[in-house]
Amino acid sequence: MEKVLLKNLGKPDSHRIENYIANGGYRALEAALKLKPDNIVQMVKDSGLRGRGGAGFSTGLKWSFIPKDPTIPKYLCCNADEGEPGTFKDRGIIDNDPHLLVEGMAIASYAIGAANSYIYIRGEFAFGADRLEAAIKEATEKGYLGNNIQGSGFSHNMYVHKGFGAYICGEETALLESIEGYRGQPRKKPPFPALSGLYAKPTVINNVETLACIPAIIEKGPKWFSSMGPEKSPGPKIYCVSGHVKKPGLYELPMGTTVRDLIFNHCGGMLKNRELKAVIPGGVSAPMLTTRDLDTPLDFDSLAAKGSMLGSGAVIVMDESTCMVKMALIINRFFSHESCGKCTPCRDGTPWLTNILKRIEGGQGRQGDVELLESLCTNIFGRTFCPLGDGAVMALRGALKNFRDEFQYHIDHKKCMAS
Amino acid sequence: MHGVIIMATVKINGKEITVQDNTLILDAARDAGFEIPTFCYQADLMGIGSCRMCLVEIEGQKKLQPSCITPVLHGMSINTETPTVISARASMLEFLLANHALDCPVCDKGGECELQDMVYKYGPHKGRHAEKKFKFQEKDYALSPVIIKNSNRCVQCQKCVRVCAEVVGANVLGALGRGDHQEETSFFRHFLDCDQDGNCIEVCPVGCFMRLPYRYRTRPWDLKGADTVCPYCGTGCRMVIEHRDGVLIRSKAQLGVGLNSETLCARGRFGCDFASSTERLKTPLIRRGGSLEPASWEEALGYIKEHIPVNIGNKMGGIASPRLTNEELYLFQKLLRDIFGSPNLDSTARWEPEATEGFIKATGMDEGGVSVFDCMESDSVLVIGSHLSDENPVTDYIVRRIKNTRRMSLIIASPREMKLDSSATIKLRHSPGREAAVLDAIALAVNAGKPSPAEGAALKDAKIEDLIASAGVTKGAVEQIAQRLLAANSIAIIAGMEFLRHPEGIPELGLLKEALKSSGKKVLVMPALDRANQRGAWEMGVHPAFGPGYGPVKDKGLGCAGMLEAANRGDLDMMYIAGADVAAMHPDEEFTRKALLKLKLLVVQDIFLSETAKLAHVVLPGSSFAEKEGTFTNQEGRAQIIRKLLPPPGKAKRDLDVIRAVGEVYDPSFGPKMPVLVLDEIRNAAGMYAHVSLAFNNKRNTENKLDNRHALVQGSATSALSVTRFSAATTEPEGRFHLTTGNHLFHSGRFSRRSGTLLGLLSAAVVEISEKDAASLNLKSGDKVKVKGRHYEAILSLKTKKGSKEGVAFIAENYDDVPVNRFFKKGEPAPRVDITKVTY
Repeated sequence: MEKVLLKNLGKPDSHRIENYIANGGYRALEAALKLKPDNIVQMVKDSGLRGRGGAGFSTGLKWSFIPKDPTIPKYLCCNADEGEPGTFKDRGIIDNDPHLLVEGMAIASYAIGAANSYIYIRGEFAFGADRLEAAIKEATEKGYLGNNIQGSGFSHNMYVHKGFGAYICGEETALLESIEGYRGQPRKKPPFPALSGLYAKPTVINNVETLACIPAIIEKGPKWFSSMGPEKSPGPKIYCVSGHVKKPGLYELPMGTTVRDLIFNHCGGMLKNRELKAVIPGGVSAPMLTTRDLDTPLDFDSLAAKGSMLGSGAVIVMDESTCMVKMALIINRFFSHESCGKCTPCRDGTPWLTNILKRIEGGQGRQGDVELLESLCTNIFGRTFCPLGDGAVMALRGALKNFRDEFQYHIDHKKCMAS
Repeated sequence: MHGVIIMATVKINGKEITVQDNTLILDAARDAGFEIPTFCYQADLMGIGSCRMCLVEIEGQKKLQPSCITPVLHGMSINTETPTVISARASMLEFLLANHALDCPVCDKGGECELQDMVYKYGPHKGRHAEKKFKFQEKDYALSPVIIKNSNRCVQCQKCVRVCAEVVGANVLGALGRGDHQEETSFFRHFLDCDQDGNCIEVCPVGCFMRLPYRYRTRPWDLKGADTVCPYCGTGCRMVIEHRDGVLIRSKAQLGVGLNSETLCARGRFGCDFASSTERLKTPLIRRGGSLEPASWEEALGYIKEHIPVNIGNKMGGIASPRLTNEELYLFQKLLRDIFGSPNLDSTARWEPEATEGFIKATGMDEGGVSVFDCMESDSVLVIGSHLSDENPVTDYIVRRIKNTRRMSLIIASPREMKLDSSATIKLRHSPGREAAVLDAIALAVNAGKPSPAEGAALKDAKIEDLIASAGVTKGAVEQIAQRLLAANSIAIIAGMEFLRHPEGIPELGLLKEALKSSGKKVLVMPALDRANQRGAWEMGVHPAFGPGYGPVKDKGLGCAGMLEAANRGDLDMMYIAGADVAAMHPDEEFTRKALLKLKLLVVQDIFLSETAKLAHVVLPGSSFAEKEGTFTNQEGRAQIIRKLLPPPGKAKRDLDVIRAVGEVYDPSFGPKMPVLVLDEIRNAAGMYAHVSLAFNNKRNTENKLDNRHALVQGSATSALSVTRFSAATTEPEGRFHLTTGNHLFHSGRFSRRSGTLLGLLSAAVVEISEKDAASLNLKSGDKVKVKGRHYEAILSLKTKKGSKEGVAFIAENYDDVPVNRFFKKGEPAPRVDITKVTY
């Protein structure tokens, strides 16, 4: 398969604009500027591109919600707050091929009529932020950003905004609050950002990988894009594989590659040839799969049918030596630490779960703890303000559903079954 | 679509109801009679949907939805009482209790705590949380002299933060930390230098924000309360005052009641302890051999009878405080006019009677009441001549809150920076006392330089260039304001006390009003007054030029200044001063004392031994607002009931009884006896009050969300007021700063100085200048400085304000240690002062 998202990774000085242009970069932007914005929106709709940040919403449809009134300022925000544990796909693009993102954003901004765009990047990505700043400077000097881009009459400025280390700021409305200088906590919806987003103006928020798909869609056409992978979620996808595999890393493959294919073919199989125990298919919020589910295609709908989700495409592979209680604790501790504090069930519920898991893991479990965990999950799930609390519950529920006996063993025997 | 109301029909628990589209599910359900519990919802704050207590089921939606931020959609079917909803409520409470301190036995909120009530009602009744609790801190910590905090009890509803930002505009609270470590407090828990209004305490549903002065003093069920009106400024906030064992220990606001709803300012919430001060006068006093000695009522009244002949006429004068009730003020003017036959009456020591008369006419008070909510419905609101944020804090809250929720412009013209500036569309910094020039310039700009017929000859020769130079403003700013006013269909002007300090602006206020009206605008004018019943005092006829209801009087008498001058000349022998501290408040202290000392008889009725009372021959102990019934008329013209909580201390009497007792000395039938009967007489004498309804509780209603116009006074049919044109005041040539005075945020006149709590907030007076002036003088906030005028100098600490007009110094008139009236001299230009650093 011809790579489009990771094509420049590994090439020397791939972040420099000369090399990007030499490899055919910015041709999509030049082509796009000759099209009508509406046509671009239609192309993206036709391509079937679904948001790569996790929710999988149709990108073209999202763009089409932006009001057409030219007197209203509009914004594009790129969500580069890649914080989901196990996820490092956006970082690959940002660090090595920043111009791909800049080009995708410039096209998207032209399509929705945004004169300004922001890249909200997590503060830990200091290197990537510098790369982006440099790329924006280069692109502006070459006339791909700034005033009257390539003589098209379209002007656009791009800014990098560094976050301060809160996972919640990857939630799109919390991200907007953070750019505006407020505390990063999610906003109520409606109004949706498409009508009232950044500074209460129409705003599109897209993930890095989503925007990185745009130049290829313009250049190769929506048909090329939609011909790849399953009909309902087509296109290339970056899977970031970590954990007990021989070759962890980034893999750009057609959407819908199966778990088995990914682990045993592309990643060279399990580390030390141990038995596979569980796979988290889409970042830590996604409920885990087990050996029974190895032939599940990794795409939005197939994983949803299995009760899990594609999420960010972060595949975490665990072998037989992994303690599921400890795994659940680590994941849950992450969520309770990152809970923003706004709503009751997430703020007070997730630390409670963590405390119970900590006890079970440390050999202080009590009879009834598993039932209490399940009951608390019921009380949190679907009642939180944003999906953070739901994510915590989904992860824990996945572990409890598939490995309930391990939890009970920990409680009964005050020690671990796996190690 | 503008103006068209779209309705939506929805089913709530099977009951079909039709409400306005966009109504919140919560409001619709409550209207339909279904109870939904909430913590974070408050009608006047923006919804955040965070506590999740109000989750409801909407048919067709998988997840429960927060009813406090979800509007109804036509055809929705909503269930608020299903097993899922009920269990969700219980589970939210279980989560809230997980880390809650559960120290109810030592919590001040115990007994009136919303968390207690909710858990009692919605469960869970069994605790499952058996983990170590997270504690923010071991000990409560004070955030200010009036606010103490225990974060372990917090339910994270953020109402404190939101009321501070959205309503008060102080923005001094926020959240520290994240997740279950999130703590709503001051930034980095620093001691707060804020408005100290305690609205954060009032909105707190639990014992997290608490009143420091009230701490550990009582249980709420041991309190007895009275629903009354705040005695401080003219806003007229409704509040409940409460006592235990005869000591007034708390005043609080009530959600959805009064125009203030849950809000009060520092004065109202913490300043009512003056009523229980040990310095209260408890017995009549008579001057014997140079000193005031305790006496019986018989002796005191006998002394008065002996010295004041009936029908003394012109030789007598009366001043009654605008803090007395309408009933007392009415009876007071009746005593002066009918018993003593004297036309010399006034309700203030601060202003000229011609100025007050003109101000009443220019602001249209004689045309009836104007609701502040109606003003805020206007397209454009101009605040001028008022330091609203300090003088009428709760009016400031109302203006800010409504401004933030609708499309309108707010224009503020003031020499000094104020909190409300941050909500202003345009703020204009003009030279002090130049309201007249500002208004003329705006009027000229509104008519593009050509005076309209309404402005007549007044502006014929005026040039905008001269006016802006005199006002110290830019032409651009004035034109911007004019543009805003021209773009508006309806305009409200809120005009404050500066017009009385500088009365040359009064006719111009009327001119601008007419100019706007003649260009087809709907114009409302509301005065912003700094005394609780100032408007009532005028409407009861405590004024030398008009009687009750602004009706004409046979002979016009003298106002306060006139009386003092007459006394000084020997033309006035006796004065009866009820509640007013003339010696402290009248400009030119030295002259005032001299004049008062020349009186053959000075009767002072007060609750404290004021500066004036110290000069009296007879002192009659009266009552505070907490010890009597009656009505106050606020600045809007809204008549509201005040109620009795306590008996007057010692031998003191209700003021109505004191005035009546003096009257009965001369006419045994003088009365009526009961406040309600006096009110009946007022309704007859002043047509404005004939139809005023006191059954006003300001509960939300469908007609006009938070208002009730039946409480507003009507227009006067007998009004015979005229506007006097004052020549422009001059200022001294020497001195860098123009000295201005007014009320401090924590004080109102002098009697708030009797509140121990308010004294603790800021114990000494400060002088306020602009940051720029301070920088050029090499001074900074907190420095000790000498303020030197021609007649007086004082050592004060300095406070700088960022956006104030340069060359203006402000000293509050409330501090006994810095009697600002000593800077002023009768018949001399307005004082200028120099400020220098004091080094020890």
